[in-house]
Amino acid sequence: MIVNPELYEEGSACIDPSHMQYQALQEDGYSQTMVQNCNSTNFSMDDQQQMLSYPQQDAAAAAAAAAANMELEINQQMGLDLENCYNPNNNGEPHLMQDQNHQPSWETHQVLNFNHYQQIQEMQHNSNNNCSLENTANQYPQTPDLLNLFHLPNCSSSVLPNSSITFTNPTHKSGFFGDLPNTQDTTVGSSSVLYDPMFHLNLPPPPPIFRDLFQSNFPHGYNFSGTRNGALFDGMEDTEGNGEFDAGVLEFSRDLNCLGKGKGGKDVKHFATEKQRRVHLNGKYAVLKNLVPISTKPDRASVVGDAIDYIKELQRTVNELQILVEKKRYSRERLRRHMTEDESVLEVESKNMMKPQGDSDQAYNGNALRSSWLQRKSKNTEVDVRIIDDEVTIKLVQQKRINSLLFVSKVLDELQLDLQHVAGGLIGDFYSFLFNTKICEGSSVYASAIANKLIDVVDREYAASQPTSSY
Amino acid sequence: MGIGSRHSDDQDSEFKSPNLMAERKRRKKLGSRLLELRALVPKITNMTKPAIITDAISYIHELKSHVQELSDEILSMEATSNEHEQKMEMSEVGSAQEMENWGIEPEVKVSKIDSNKLWVKLLFQKTRGGLITTIFEAMNVLGFVPIDMSAITSKGAVLITSHIEVMEDGMQATEKIKELLLEIVTTY
Repeated sequence: MIVNPELYEEGSACIDPSHMQYQALQEDGYSQTMVQNCNSTNFSMDDQQQMLSYPQQDAAAAAAAAAANMELEINQQMGLDLENCYNPNNNGEPHLMQDQNHQPSWETHQVLNFNHYQQIQEMQHNSNNNCSLENTANQYPQTPDLLNLFHLPNCSSSVLPNSSITFTNPTHKSGFFGDLPNTQDTTVGSSSVLYDPMFHLNLPPPPPIFRDLFQSNFPHGYNFSGTRNGALFDGMEDTEGNGEFDAGVLEFSRDLNCLGKGKGGKDVKHFATEKQRRVHLNGKYAVLKNLVPISTKPDRASVVGDAIDYIKELQRTVNELQILVEKKRYSRERLRRHMTEDESVLEVESKNMMKPQGDSDQAYNGNALRSSWLQRKSKNTEVDVRIIDDEVTIKLVQQKRINSLLFVSKVLDELQLDLQHVAGGLIGDFYSFLFNTKICEGSSVYASAIANKLIDVVDREYAASQPTSSY
Repeated sequence: MGIGSRHSDDQDSEFKSPNLMAERKRRKKLGSRLLELRALVPKITNMTKPAIITDAISYIHELKSHVQELSDEILSMEATSNEHEQKMEMSEVGSAQEMENWGIEPEVKVSKIDSNKLWVKLLFQKTRGGLITTIFEAMNVLGFVPIDMSAITSKGAVLITSHIEVMEDGMQATEKIKELLLEIVTTY
């Protein structure tokens, strides 16, 4: 590989990958032109550099939106800072927008992503163009498997560790970026882009950022130092599928252009445009919104408010369950010890609240008052479950269609909740009932189980009664 | 994002926004909520807005998996325990006894209120076996639609009173309804 120092000075060294991509952008997938391009333009690479391959712009937006998620969830840092070389040529992104007519499906992409990634890995070894890429993936720190945290469906975790596309520039501080000052001091972390959880949202693709920029700089030789994952580069050589592979995945890396030093990977991200930043942030709000079951209004403040309520509810549930587990364990212990004696089981249980004996395995906080509260809503039903110690209070509001009393009563029997008091009736178009129940000894129901079951049953019955609306 | 609207320059009208105050209030609201969210989440990497949200997302995932873990544990513990069965028997005997002690007798009353409304009163022994459910079921079958309903438990007995709306043909046989319910209650 020939390094062209002039390019560095011009600050257009970053053109390289984008140029290649630019070629690709014009077609549906990475085509042979990419390879030819690579061959003919004498890409210069320092050894162990990988080229960035950029996804087609029609996948860009979707990926960009997810970029944030990926980046944050996965420990990653961008290896490129194209901002400086990008800015002077960029008159604003909108005009870079290409005609987007390709909205790849999410799942297809996921599968493609991984499939192609593996192909790419192989291709790296077989590559025989002038670019002489090496697979240096193993040289770079594997990104932590935070993707699992993201609960990506469809992905096989075995592929994950290899799928990270890392830009690392441990030895060449500024090689790729020439004289760009702010990149010289930073070491490139690794950014792994796996796939785009936001993909299915079908967000509009972002502009092909580098198109104009690199277009004008095309005739020059390219040099890029800074290491990239070989997969990316090879992805360009591949034909059709890779475009999709990158679509959900790499756009993120393209858009986040900075050299980040932070360990967390989250603390350094510099967007090339304000729009990218906004898209990124909106993506995050969307993820949060999807996580939270109860959503009142679609605006940001409400999403955050609902998230706050949900977190509090989850914390309550965790506490409740922990107390339950403790109680169960403790009562089991005592039962086993007293089973052999003549005492009836009931009497044993009544001593349950006393301080633990010395020979008890675990400390048992007999004074812990179990309390829990949560709400669940569905289209026709609202359920509010509150538990204090062993008393469960259930409030049910339901659109008048069926006689839910019967079904609720059945559910309570199943859950071993002893009905103490019921009150309620028809209010306008709705049935509203309040149930005071007591948890039978030894039963370990918890609030969310009760609420979920109730909602399920009532909704089912409601749906079943759709055709006949005699009531 | 409306940064320009912060400049209070009366003459430069392009910066002034008609709903300046509303917009400020909206931003403030979002800001305070984000602060509250951050206060909840134990790990904070950054103070930036997107970081708050990211941390919240991962914290929620963490909590959810914790909940799942704990409830699985409880389920497995539940599967191996059988203590509660014995307790149920004990309390059922207790309630029959209690009723007798207080001199409460099972009772059913049915009265016609309106052309299609009934008033029903039921008094019976409380059992664990789901007598209440059975009563509800019977009322359902009879075509009763509760307008309001109250069920109270005390002294080993259950008192149910309810206003009921009935379909036309159900109205005739109030006496029969009463007998039916009484039978259910006493022979359960």
